[in-house]
Amino acid sequence: MTAAIEVAGLWLAYPGADTAALRDVAFSVQRGELMLIAGPSGAGKSTLCSCLRGLVPNTIVAETRGQVKVAGRQVLGPEPVPSSDDVALVLQDAEAQIIGMSVEDDLAFGPENYGVPAEEIRARISEVLDLVGLRGLEKRDTYALSGGQKQRLAIASALMIRPAILILDEPTSELDPVGKAQVLEIISNLRTETSTTVVIVEHEIGRFASVADTMLLLDHGAVAAYGNPASLVSDIELFERVGGERPPPAAELARRMRDARLVECPSYGLDLGRALADIERELESHGSCSR
Amino acid sequence: MPVGYSIYRETGSNIHRIDPRTKLAWLLTFFVLSLCSNNPAVLAVVFLAELALARIARLKFRDLQAYLFLSLWLTILSTVIWPAYIHQGAYLGRVWFVDVTSDGLLYGVAMGLRITIMIVAAAEWMLTTSPQWLTAGLLKLGLPYRAGLALSTAIRFVPFLNAERLTITEAQRARCAAVGSGGPVRRVVNSAPVLVPLFSRAFLTAQSLSIALDARGLSSGGQRSSLINLRLSKADKAALAAAVLIVAAAIAFRVLGYGVLVKGEF
Amino acid sequence: MAPAVASFTENVISVRDLTFSYPGTAVPILRKVNLEVRRGEFIALLGSNGAGKTTLAKHFNGLHCPTSGQVLLHGRPTTELGLRELAKIVGYCYQNPDHQIFSSSVENEVKFGPRNLGLTGEALASRVSEALAVVGMTEFAASNPFVLGRGRRQLLAVASILAMDPELLVVDEPTTGLDLSGAQQIMRVLGRWHEEGRTMVVITHDMDLVVEYTTRCVVMADGQIIDDGPTQEVLRHNDTMRAAGLEEPAVVTISDRLSRFGSARCKSIADVVADVGAHMEAEHAGRL
Repeated sequence: MTAAIEVAGLWLAYPGADTAALRDVAFSVQRGELMLIAGPSGAGKSTLCSCLRGLVPNTIVAETRGQVKVAGRQVLGPEPVPSSDDVALVLQDAEAQIIGMSVEDDLAFGPENYGVPAEEIRARISEVLDLVGLRGLEKRDTYALSGGQKQRLAIASALMIRPAILILDEPTSELDPVGKAQVLEIISNLRTETSTTVVIVEHEIGRFASVADTMLLLDHGAVAAYGNPASLVSDIELFERVGGERPPPAAELARRMRDARLVECPSYGLDLGRALADIERELESHGSCSR
Repeated sequence: MPVGYSIYRETGSNIHRIDPRTKLAWLLTFFVLSLCSNNPAVLAVVFLAELALARIARLKFRDLQAYLFLSLWLTILSTVIWPAYIHQGAYLGRVWFVDVTSDGLLYGVAMGLRITIMIVAAAEWMLTTSPQWLTAGLLKLGLPYRAGLALSTAIRFVPFLNAERLTITEAQRARCAAVGSGGPVRRVVNSAPVLVPLFSRAFLTAQSLSIALDARGLSSGGQRSSLINLRLSKADKAALAAAVLIVAAAIAFRVLGYGVLVKGEF
Repeated sequence: MAPAVASFTENVISVRDLTFSYPGTAVPILRKVNLEVRRGEFIALLGSNGAGKTTLAKHFNGLHCPTSGQVLLHGRPTTELGLRELAKIVGYCYQNPDHQIFSSSVENEVKFGPRNLGLTGEALASRVSEALAVVGMTEFAASNPFVLGRGRRQLLAVASILAMDPELLVVDEPTTGLDLSGAQQIMRVLGRWHEEGRTMVVITHDMDLVVEYTTRCVVMADGQIIDDGPTQEVLRHNDTMRAAGLEEPAVVTISDRLSRFGSARCKSIADVVADVGAHMEAEHAGRL
């Protein structure tokens, strides 16, 4: 079975830049999987998202090498590649990606560009608004939406073209915790209820790593780590070296406890509950041993 | 300045449902009608017809309030000023250094009514046509798609830029910037702390917007569909025909000299 | 920079029965809010978006005037004070630095605020260089602010307010859009500023930073203050935290779970480990 996304030897430099924005990036994402991309500011995460969406070199001018295959098509090349409705991209700035004056108009923009008939568009509108929890707001003016609602509208608009692959570039960074939780719920539902492949860039590793199937950590344009999220997030040295991300509390606690020779527990990734239970048990037994 | 995208208010009337192209034709018809006569009685009839249309469109006084008061002001001004230039008709007396005649006053009233008709026609048009339908109408009339998109996107970002302007002004006031005070020259000099961030925000948003437009398939190159499908109904066609006839008749009457109170003046 | 001359009243800000709705609207954004801000505190203003945090904070420097009730700055109503008097005492740093930055150089940007307050010449120059030193941007003095990254622009915005030497600093979401190192850089600057004797009010959603830096938390929901007290206590009031849509920071959970092994109310995981280590050693030594 071919992977939904296959990246090999990806190298990218913006015109006039001293260093490459992406250096020898390689990874793959299987159909229906959720990949989490993390890394400090400037690591190249947004650039990578633009490549996956096929915006390079059509919209964004850059020198590139390597291969990016998305939904079976090569999307990276010296020649412009026609944009497809297999892939959708949600950007960080919700305001700049809302084009329509009303919710309905904005949702229609994407499918209109691909010639989807009007009745089909209307059918998809109510479906998609249910998915993001904005039911009944079809006629609402977009400027009157809250920040969280705008971001959810952006996700809904992306889903209107029924993409096989959905890419989200830091969708929650400008939202409050309630907004972040809502986006997480939408993404989790997408993963469990549909076969959409999802790639999400996030700083809140703890929140999303638990639902991700695979994880990529970028540092200065290169892959610092790639693999299973649970094992990746328990590697504290990795986080300290790369910087820019807060390690999950369970991992940090376990490592510091081990360094202080208080316990000998294994590494923990995301499960703070289990980490605390094991640490408590060990500390108690140490206490009783000394008697 | 509307807080939202436009002053459009949905009332569910028949006028709201009419094709935007027909409404545009009728807007122009009212403009032509107002220019074809300088008799206040004729113009008053045209104005009453406008108000009748407002009634059919289920508009309220509050919707037109600001425009009617503006028009009233301008009419009063016009009535006072024109007698200084028009000296035909019955002499009524001397006010200040002006010889006031009946025709002078009536012409002033007529000019005021002319402006009133134009202002109220434009207002009624904007109140009954949503910006989306307006853009769709213009596209159907032959406006290129990207121009229509530019128009609707510009409208879409007006409230956003207005909100940004308010936030920026506030932020600079917190730094004790003297924005919005002083004489006209001072104000221009002091506006840099608001204009520069506003422009930079606009540019940054435009950059992200251009990426978003392509990410959502603007340059996909295929055939484009539309959620709004405009079709001229029988009623639309009748209304358009009526508009053409009325314009032709009005121009004819003017050329023949009817509806003209003050000869020799436009 | 030394703090301003000591004032008579203990409280920098007194908010009394403050109700506020935007002129022309009926819906109250703030409903009978009461708050005392004492000198030297580092207050976190918490709550979900729409709770009224920013609206409340904007009353401190007179950007908003109460619809009813009073906001007093050192005992005087903000409505009676001029813009300059208010700006001299209360600095307000906006969330998005791009809403403030407009100059051709970093140095000119930082000069703007103090110059508006009437500083000139030597005094102005030294104020600017001190502010740039505090945020660590002395080497960027001649740079064009628009080519700097988001983190540096944020530091520049903070510097331009610090240069006005306010006694009370309100910072709105300083870490949004920054990665961890950017966030830590800003908070370190604010922490040092606070240690020199100033009062800080920070509006934020980052609970880890709240535990690490703040001394007091004011929790808001629906235009009212639903909890107000020392940070370590407020964060443990589960009902109000939940009502405000806030999550308990991990270090609080860890601290409490391991409290019988010696962890006191800690600010960071490193502190927890240090406490537990010290406690276990003491126990062990006690038994020998």
